[in-house]
Amino acid sequence: MTTDFINICLADDDEDDRLFFTDAFEELKINTKVSTFNDGVELMNYLNHEDSVLPNVLFLDLNMPKKNGVECLLEIKKNEKLNDIAIAIYSTSSSEEHIEETFINGANIYIKKPNDFDNLKKILSEVVTINWQYHTSGLNKDNFLMRM
Amino acid sequence: MNYLQLHKSPLFLKIIFIISVAVIFFIGGITFKHITVLKKSSNYVSNSHEVNTELERLISFIKDAETGQRGYILTRDKKFLEPYLKSKNLVKKSFNEVSKLTKNSRTQQANLKKLLFFINKRQNYLSKTLYLTEQKNYDEKQLVSNLLIGKQAMDSIRLKIEDMMIAQKNLLNNRQKEYESTMNYTPLLIYLTLIVTLILITIAFIKMNRDLIILKSTINTLSVAIEASKLAEIVGGFGSWQYNLETHEYTFSDNEYRLLGCEPQSFTASVEEFYKFVHPDDLQHVIDNANIIPTDSILPPFTYRIIRKDGEVRYFRALGRVVTVASGEKTHIGTTSDVTEEMYAQNFIEERNRELESNNKELTAFNYIASHDLQEPLRKIETFLSRLVSKDYDNLSKSGQQYVSSIQSSAKRMRVLIEDLLQFSRTNKAEKVFEEANLNSLLDNAKQELAQVIEEKNGIIESNTLPTLHVIPFQIQQLFINLISNSLKYSKQDVAPVIKINSTLISAQEDNFLPNNNNNAKYYKITIEDNGIGFEQEYAKKIFILFNRLHNKNEYAGTGIGLAICKKIVENHKGFIVANAELNEGATFTIYIPAE
Repeated sequence: MTTDFINICLADDDEDDRLFFTDAFEELKINTKVSTFNDGVELMNYLNHEDSVLPNVLFLDLNMPKKNGVECLLEIKKNEKLNDIAIAIYSTSSSEEHIEETFINGANIYIKKPNDFDNLKKILSEVVTINWQYHTSGLNKDNFLMRM
Repeated sequence: MNYLQLHKSPLFLKIIFIISVAVIFFIGGITFKHITVLKKSSNYVSNSHEVNTELERLISFIKDAETGQRGYILTRDKKFLEPYLKSKNLVKKSFNEVSKLTKNSRTQQANLKKLLFFINKRQNYLSKTLYLTEQKNYDEKQLVSNLLIGKQAMDSIRLKIEDMMIAQKNLLNNRQKEYESTMNYTPLLIYLTLIVTLILITIAFIKMNRDLIILKSTINTLSVAIEASKLAEIVGGFGSWQYNLETHEYTFSDNEYRLLGCEPQSFTASVEEFYKFVHPDDLQHVIDNANIIPTDSILPPFTYRIIRKDGEVRYFRALGRVVTVASGEKTHIGTTSDVTEEMYAQNFIEERNRELESNNKELTAFNYIASHDLQEPLRKIETFLSRLVSKDYDNLSKSGQQYVSSIQSSAKRMRVLIEDLLQFSRTNKAEKVFEEANLNSLLDNAKQELAQVIEEKNGIIESNTLPTLHVIPFQIQQLFINLISNSLKYSKQDVAPVIKINSTLISAQEDNFLPNNNNNAKYYKITIEDNGIGFEQEYAKKIFILFNRLHNKNEYAGTGIGLAICKKIVENHKGFIVANAELNEGATFTIYIPAE
């Protein structure tokens, strides 16, 4: 990317969570451009569109109507054009099953939605500034779940 | 044992029988031979006697001839000449008779030849003498010499005949000796063989008698066993059947008939008759199973339904096996038991199990979803509260600020509660994947997780080397976390918490707490001992029950779930957990985990 800001996408059906997400980036003052989608179908439509600018980091909620996060993840990883996008799972659940399933299917990091706005800001800034190349090469299940 | 003996004895008896028959044949042969010998020797005796008589007659005929001739010479009366004329024929006849009687003896034949010579000579001289005396002028001298020669011939005849008689007597004596020598040993031989036969027959008799006794007692045992099995069949609600694979005949026990609702032996046992009772839906199943009988030595157990005579449907279970009886015949024996009650009970239990399983599933799902989905609004509340505090806190009144912090602490407590509940339901639900795990590293992980609290409380955790066990690793780690954080939480205010973790391998009988039913069972006994506030021993069981707490939440925060999770985890590992404590004297939690 030649642009000097980081492209961020979020797919989440919860309006409040989308609000917290955009608010957090506004307050963080990192050079980012945040786009949000209400569900998986909307997200995939965008990603599959030829003119779309692909995100650097994609945040995926798991529990969404129409097309859930895991379905999106599978579709993205199958698509050669999209499978380089860093994917952060962004979910209320921290159940072993979900963590296991998304890890196996190629997600890069798993974030449990925090209960505190300051925590949220901390986590998002951390995730966005990760050197993804480095993180992905040393990826294992222990550092997959992001703890704050 | 006795039974086996009985099966060996026919061979023994057969051998004795064959020997006895052979001995009798032998005796018969010898007797026959001896009778023949006896007959022969009696023949010899009468033959000798006849020979003697005939020889006597022969000589008397010759004498008659001589006497007659003399008479005639003296008297010239023709009457005297008659015996002389007849004697030639009579002598010839008599001589032939002797020759016939002695044809088997060479010496006698030789004697006879000589005798014939002398007889001819004598007769020649007799006729010569007669001729001389017929002449008118006969020479006296010549007559005398003729008579002399005749007398000599006559003496020779006498001698010869005497010789022959002696020879005959010798022959008889020899035969007698021969006969005696053969006859001497035979009575002894016959006697001996008879005795041997008698002994053999006695042995056979004793043997047969003994077999008979064994047979009798076997029959007694058998008849008792038959009665016992009949009773057992009635009490146990089963029947039995036999199928002779050679004769293709069936036998049903009395109770088999009763199971079918019929009078014992009220119809001829046959597979066709039996099939009439089998439930039509199960008939094919039964036939398929029955067809295995000749090919396979074991008829595996199978269950089917029958319709009794009174119309009641019952469940039967059959089991069979091919046995080879002592006589070598193959028989398929089997039992049929009425398992109706069992089947109903089993169906009932299965039904209940299914219900329980689905209830359980629903409950776990409900528990999981409830706690999971409750997190979402709670998280929103907390996030919005944090937004409110960071943005508008200063704009709130003093009491408003107080309310906000109260809401925050309540929300926090609720979150802990939900998280604990979630943890508890996961302990129930999670797949139980057992793997080899080093408990030392699981304890290290737990300590790492609790590092912050340990540091805050200046806690010291001492442990000796823990074993490597076949466990569900994350659950054991959770167990350590819960127990250590429990000890840290209930530490004395002014004393730094010291937690000692120890592990020993023990066998079940060494520890009174462990069930004693399997003495060989080995357990790892892991103790977690602290120097905290402890509790009264009477609450030792209560603390493991879900939501049970010993302290007010204002004194010690908590949900009453942590130790319940511990108990669940230990139970998942087929182990036991027990607490021992005294108020203000610390508490010891003991975990027993089976060492395979």
